[in-house]
Amino acid sequence: MLTLKSNLTVNNKVKLITKDSKVFEGIVLPDTNSKKVVLKLESGYNIGILISNIKESKLISKSKKPIEKKKTTAKINKKLPTISILHTGGTIASEVDYETGAVIAKFTPEELLSKFPELKTVCNINSSLIGNMFSEDMRFSHYNKLLTAIQKEIKKGTDGIIITHGTDTLAYTSAALAFALEGLNTPILLVGAQRSSDRGSSDAFLNLLGACQYLSNSNFSEVGICMHESSDDKSCLILSPTKTKKFHSSRRDAFQSVNTEPIARVFSDGKYENIAKLHSTESKLTIKPFKENIKVGILKAHPNMFAKEITNYSTFNGLIIEGTGLGHLPVNETDKETKENSKILKAIKSLSKSIPVFMTTQTTFGRVNMNVYSSGRKLKEIEISGDYNDMLTETAFIKMSWLLSNYPKSKVSELMNQNLRDEISKRSSKKEFL
Amino acid sequence: MQLDYKKLGFKSGLEIHQQLETHKLFCNCPSIVHDKNPDIKFERKLRTSAGESGKIDQAAKYESKKQKTFLYEACSTSSCLVEYDEEPPTQVNQEALEIALQAALLLNATPVDEARVMRKTVIDGSNVSGFQRTMLIATDGYLETSKGKVTIDSICLEEESARKIETKDNYVKFRLDRLGVPLIEVATEASIKDPEHCQEVASILGMILRSTNKVKRGIGTIRQDVNVSIKGHPRVEIKGFQDLKSIPKIIEFEVKREIKESKNKVESHVRKANSNLTTSYLRPMPGAARMYPETDVQSILLTKQFIKQIKIPELITEKAIKLEKKYKLSPTLAQELVNNELFIVLTKQFKKLQPTFIAKTILEMPKEISKRFNLPKENLKPYHFESVLEALNENKINESAVLQILADAANNKKIDFKKYKKVDSSQIELEIKKLVESNKNISPNGLMGLIMKNYRGKVDGKKAMELIKKYHK
Repeated sequence: MLTLKSNLTVNNKVKLITKDSKVFEGIVLPDTNSKKVVLKLESGYNIGILISNIKESKLISKSKKPIEKKKTTAKINKKLPTISILHTGGTIASEVDYETGAVIAKFTPEELLSKFPELKTVCNINSSLIGNMFSEDMRFSHYNKLLTAIQKEIKKGTDGIIITHGTDTLAYTSAALAFALEGLNTPILLVGAQRSSDRGSSDAFLNLLGACQYLSNSNFSEVGICMHESSDDKSCLILSPTKTKKFHSSRRDAFQSVNTEPIARVFSDGKYENIAKLHSTESKLTIKPFKENIKVGILKAHPNMFAKEITNYSTFNGLIIEGTGLGHLPVNETDKETKENSKILKAIKSLSKSIPVFMTTQTTFGRVNMNVYSSGRKLKEIEISGDYNDMLTETAFIKMSWLLSNYPKSKVSELMNQNLRDEISKRSSKKEFL
Repeated sequence: MQLDYKKLGFKSGLEIHQQLETHKLFCNCPSIVHDKNPDIKFERKLRTSAGESGKIDQAAKYESKKQKTFLYEACSTSSCLVEYDEEPPTQVNQEALEIALQAALLLNATPVDEARVMRKTVIDGSNVSGFQRTMLIATDGYLETSKGKVTIDSICLEEESARKIETKDNYVKFRLDRLGVPLIEVATEASIKDPEHCQEVASILGMILRSTNKVKRGIGTIRQDVNVSIKGHPRVEIKGFQDLKSIPKIIEFEVKREIKESKNKVESHVRKANSNLTTSYLRPMPGAARMYPETDVQSILLTKQFIKQIKIPELITEKAIKLEKKYKLSPTLAQELVNNELFIVLTKQFKKLQPTFIAKTILEMPKEISKRFNLPKENLKPYHFESVLEALNENKINESAVLQILADAANNKKIDFKKYKKVDSSQIELEIKKLVESNKNISPNGLMGLIMKNYRGKVDGKKAMELIKKYHK
């Protein structure tokens, strides 16, 4: 058994004979554990063989150290702008190791250029690895790390920054950067991929190329998101950092504008058209990071709610309520069945005395209006803020956390209602819906 | 020129791809292979698989492919986001897995302990994702042939590719109805002895796969790829056989072609079988299959208990022998009747009728109707056979009327048994007697014509002839 165990070292080439006398020859893969060995056969197929089913094992050759590929240095073309790519994770820069099947991140300029050679004709690439994580695992400390890295790149004089990011919370990060980078005058685009870049059909390439092209050719100087516009590999949209939501768990056109229009459209040939008016600023960049201990919660209103759901947040610094419809919570006691609703009203009243509480709508599209129905009016009376805002819940969460990090608590509710980064629009256009 | 295949060092292996009659392999879409009226269109580009850092310069490689755009059209009836590469796959279709395992067991192969889904890189556009999902489910089987055992190297379960509709300089158009239909791939060892043997192996493999009773039937539902090599020549793969009968001649011509070509150094490549039985160059042989794991699907443990509960179906050949004995049928008819539910129902229902006559009614008469009367045999439904055989069983019509009545049905005419009502034999005899006496100069055959003009389908021809002869002196 001891020899079996040592024979089954990852990357060893072995011959295994099973109890029913079947012979398998292949390379031991990392998924191997104490119960089964996973082999890559000559044919390329992987199979699992139960350890309990192995009669005999022979070592054919020991694991070979991978041959270091000759490194080529990317030449700098002085005529082209330089783009910095900061990798935080996600499938966009991942690659499969064909020997083992493991997914690894490839992010050096050379590796990126060998994967996406066309980028050479658009810009020079600088790149660095900030992290390699699932975006749902991110915390405010990661935003701050990213802010430091961005500052470094800007100081170096980069012409634009691309942040490669997992798509799950990409739109939270974009809002965080939009708020934290005050007076930004360098374009930054967050880019993700919905289909992993190890497949020929990945959307990663067009998203990355589109971002490079827009950063290189346009006068854009803010934070944005660059993702596929449709299921076609024809164009990408440059989207608002504060008014964009991931609307689909898997489609490549998952990212859509909410209550606003996209900023621009970039075609696969590099041509682009601006849709929204671009801002520019003469002011100096100030970085206002996040306090890592700030606790803001998100509470979704629903039928059959209990007051306990609200009192749970008593130790938090702020709360976003994603209300129903125009911005409602169940706070009306209309019969003996609805007694809990009075308790809810009491609980939210006491909470809003101690922390900022802000209302958004779970309809996603449209605006909060707490004047139409009695529920809204009752909430407004107890100083739940957010009346007339059309902010996304996600953006409201980031904004409140950022305000609590950088402003006195007493100013937070007032600033929540003010438009700071195009997160609240003044007018509701008919075009801005699905 | 008679070829000595043994002396030539002839080596041949067969790869069979058979579509299964179940929903798609990695989603719940129905397997409609020829769907109509596409309502979804999109276009994509495929890149050479990321990270394929071979000797060829990536940039150059890409440049050469850059212009190709793939246009996809799809029907929402037969495809979903999985086919458009807009959603991860679901778990493997359990029914497909069980059919593949049935086939594996029929082929005496051993299922692997754990099947792992792989992605086989395909960038010609026929797979929207840029790869084909495939898994090895069993190895090391065999089948018996007239020239000995042939080893089965592998049995795989995989996805069918999309259907190519149009090729132009700058784009290729595909329809996605077929994409994702489950396929069994059976590969034999290169131990096939000669071209005839190859046909035999293909035919046995087809029969074994059909024995699961869960495979698609008809043109294009099964495909054979034949690998051929002779000493001193590279391996050649031939695709696109129209029918099994063409296999031996095509291989023979291919071997002769290779012998003539002997001076030229050629690389292994893929050839297409032409309708005139020759082959022509199709493309270079794909390199060692570029396979990497499908990380979106969990591996499948094929436990002993799971394999045990897989029912091994009876082979079509065995079933045919049973039918042959039970119903006293000819071997050919019995082969054709395997898994024919209608035949079993009708023989149970109409005990007075000969099973052979029932078999001929449901198998041969439709063919005759389409050949002789040029009528669409597809119009014939089980209830047509049932009602006509019922009338015969109750002695209301003659056997000879059956074909006529079915022809009417195929012609979308209402079945009118009155028209073919059996005439009382004493009345017929009287009629014939009269006719013969008043036409003494006419030959029996001529008289037969006159009788049949009035009584076609209503009297039995043989009986009528006997009566004519009785009175014709």
